[in-house]
Amino acid sequence: MEFEAVIGLEIHIELNCPTKLFCDCPNRPGDEPNRNTCPTCLWFPGAIPRLSQAALEKAALLCLGLGAEIQPRNAFDQKVYYYPDLPKGYQLSQAHLPLARGGGIEITDENGKLKRARIHHVHMEEDVARLVHEIEGRTPISLVDFNRAGVPLVEIVTEPDFSTPHEAIEFLKALRAQVRYVGSSECSMENGTMRVDANISVRPRGASEMNTKVEVKNMNSIRHVGDAIAHEIGRQSASVQAGEAVTLHTRLWDPDKKVTLPMRAKFEGPCIPDPTVPTIELSREWIDDMRSRLPEMPATRAARFVAQYGLSGEEAAFLSSDPDTAGFFEALTAEGIAPRMAMHWLATQLLPAIKERRQELHNAPVTPGRFAALLRMLSQDQINANAAREVLLRLFDGDQPPAAIVDACGFRQVSDPEALGALIDKVVDAEAAAVADLRNGQGKAMGFLIGRVMQASGGKANPKIVRELLGKKLEAIL
Amino acid sequence: MDSPFFYRNPAAPAAPSGPLAGSKIAVQPNLSVAGWPADAGSNALADFKALEDATIVKRLRQAGASLCGATRMSEFGFGLRGSRAGEAIRSQAADAELVLDLMGESRLAAIRAAVCGFKPSYGLVSRLGLIGLIPSMESCGLLAETPATIRELLKAVAGQDCLDFSMPDDEPLDLAPQDIDPPKTTIGVVAEAQSGLTAEQEALFRSSLDQLKQAGFSLLEMSLPEFSLFSLVHRIVGSVEASSSAGRYDSVRYGPRAAGAKNWNEMYLLSRAAAFGPLLKSYLLQGALFQFERYEAYENACRIRARLLRQMQRLASRADCLVFPAVDGAAGGGPPLLADTYGQFAWTLFANVTGQPALYLPPPPDAAHAGLQLAGARLSDGRLLALGEHLVNLHPRGK
Repeated sequence: MEFEAVIGLEIHIELNCPTKLFCDCPNRPGDEPNRNTCPTCLWFPGAIPRLSQAALEKAALLCLGLGAEIQPRNAFDQKVYYYPDLPKGYQLSQAHLPLARGGGIEITDENGKLKRARIHHVHMEEDVARLVHEIEGRTPISLVDFNRAGVPLVEIVTEPDFSTPHEAIEFLKALRAQVRYVGSSECSMENGTMRVDANISVRPRGASEMNTKVEVKNMNSIRHVGDAIAHEIGRQSASVQAGEAVTLHTRLWDPDKKVTLPMRAKFEGPCIPDPTVPTIELSREWIDDMRSRLPEMPATRAARFVAQYGLSGEEAAFLSSDPDTAGFFEALTAEGIAPRMAMHWLATQLLPAIKERRQELHNAPVTPGRFAALLRMLSQDQINANAAREVLLRLFDGDQPPAAIVDACGFRQVSDPEALGALIDKVVDAEAAAVADLRNGQGKAMGFLIGRVMQASGGKANPKIVRELLGKKLEAIL
Repeated sequence: MDSPFFYRNPAAPAAPSGPLAGSKIAVQPNLSVAGWPADAGSNALADFKALEDATIVKRLRQAGASLCGATRMSEFGFGLRGSRAGEAIRSQAADAELVLDLMGESRLAAIRAAVCGFKPSYGLVSRLGLIGLIPSMESCGLLAETPATIRELLKAVAGQDCLDFSMPDDEPLDLAPQDIDPPKTTIGVVAEAQSGLTAEQEALFRSSLDQLKQAGFSLLEMSLPEFSLFSLVHRIVGSVEASSSAGRYDSVRYGPRAAGAKNWNEMYLLSRAAAFGPLLKSYLLQGALFQFERYEAYENACRIRARLLRQMQRLASRADCLVFPAVDGAAGGGPPLLADTYGQFAWTLFANVTGQPALYLPPPPDAAHAGLQLAGARLSDGRLLALGEHLVNLHPRGK
């Protein structure tokens, strides 16, 4: 029997606002344990949660960026369960009246066909504390770090619109790009600011009803999400084939063994409206104001790049997938750099160099202004491409202007016809054999001669002019 | 347990200034006073000491009042079992007491101590630092000898608190003394609120109404056919909220952890099981049942609550205030049962369901009638206290 998979995703995203969701503690979960705490996020008796305006705005921007409809009336519920990372006994989450409903992202399936993945809803919730398990002497102990407790999260719940790991991966990449665009989160699965759970079920191909789903957690990269889904589809298909029933439960992805392992029965506790956090009522004006703050989103920007700069669709999509990259590119063109050159040097030279140094484009020492100054020298033939690559690497070491580095290293190209003519005369005299080859119709010798001239100039000669002058010289003597 | 105090402030009162200078105020250990034990009457919080002052406490201090201590209270202030509220005023150890009112505790404590007891409008007084149980029903009640004292206290503590977002954006209340002109003042009497009274209680209530008539007020008979639903709504919504919000009062962090557990899960379960007393435990279990198994009943109760609120608002808009029987329906000294507790508060809990203010006035000494319970529309607190002042001044207590 052939099976098809039905996959839905639940994505938790940590918002990057300065404070926690319900108090003024810094939103920095990575600090020294239990530094960023107060009676509210420690959930002490008598404390009252106070919803952060900044978090609400970041969450609303994120929803609008995904095309979801902000709900003018939304509210927090108490999601009841107990675990040592939630000593309060309930998590504040929006179960009944979420912040936004609907929306979606266009993705391409394996065959390159466009497909819309719909979002069911987006809600806000507070993160729970972090448990650290250690051994003290021979006794296992568990410690609780409350720095993460109360950190603002949004959860994006999709419709079960995916049928392959590829589609899920495409969706997550596009989602990450869009959320980064609106500036609500860095969305790093590696750093835990984006966490993905996948709900997966299989059914005979073409069937209409859905089978029991299994939830898979603990993937810490987008690639792992794909691997885990692929494994789970295989596992469930085999077990249905063997006539076994699939039960509703949660499984953990083991990245080393590349398998999913059962964790626990899925627990769905009750949710009651929280009587203390007031219902959030958002006016049409407020929502419109948020919408006006939305930046140009990736798809729109890519289309504009094609129209405005004559880039290919692929190039435009690449540049606009990340707001920093797109912004950098546009800053280069504003400096007068030709779009193709800007695109090419950004993609093949600068971005790899930044990645290698584990830096970020937005705060790297190579600013658009410095990079543009370098590319301008290249386009004006003041330096050649090799020298430009060399200078780029040196731009990371300090704040000198590129021209100063070019001069200090003696990279400036020699384009003076007189100086180059003298070099050419010398090379032609010295390489009589090659000249003879040319005379005998062996074209290869031309390249050899250019190489010798370049070598004689210490790599500084402008190759274009060398070729031109050498051509004239040979014409004259042959 | 001779003293009504659970904790006495060891610090001598400073020589403060302000409208409440010289007033001694007793709180309960469910109101946070920095450094004071705050167990809210429960083993689950046995070792908890408050980290900071509740907003109410801060404002009382700013107004010059001194806090003399915390009195013994029922577990989480639910009902009056173990509560000694009112006694500190009777023994003149305090001029006023703050008593959390979840279903009428401040008013019933006032009946017992023969003092005035007032539950302010919901949202009028900050709840920051209040270790409560039923967030949407409870309000910090005030006990004192006279409505005038209560008004002065309320002036000091009422109003917006930038740390309590749950307070509605109400305009500040006018709590200045007001003149009452009885012939122009209509007092509504809700017929259904008298059902369930014994013949004796009914007779006492009738004679209270006669007193009002004699004082020149015009009485208006009114009907609220669903009055009996208040109790049911309070019981369902209250228990569900309690069950959920009591999650944070886990004996694991603040109270004694149960010994002999095999793992943390078992330790957690055993500690919680040992932490709560029988009455509260049955209340929490009832709330958990509605949460997990009968959620639709909870949703219905919320809908009925909204309906009752509208009906009560309509009645309140037709009169200057409403009068209700002031009855302590205590069931005697049997085992603590939820049904008995709800029976005891049957004539007070309506105001917790609706969030309206309610004032208990004790009868004059040697009077043949009972005290009165007055209630008004939400935020009519100033008018209600002025009316109380007027009525108390008709029969000065001559103390």
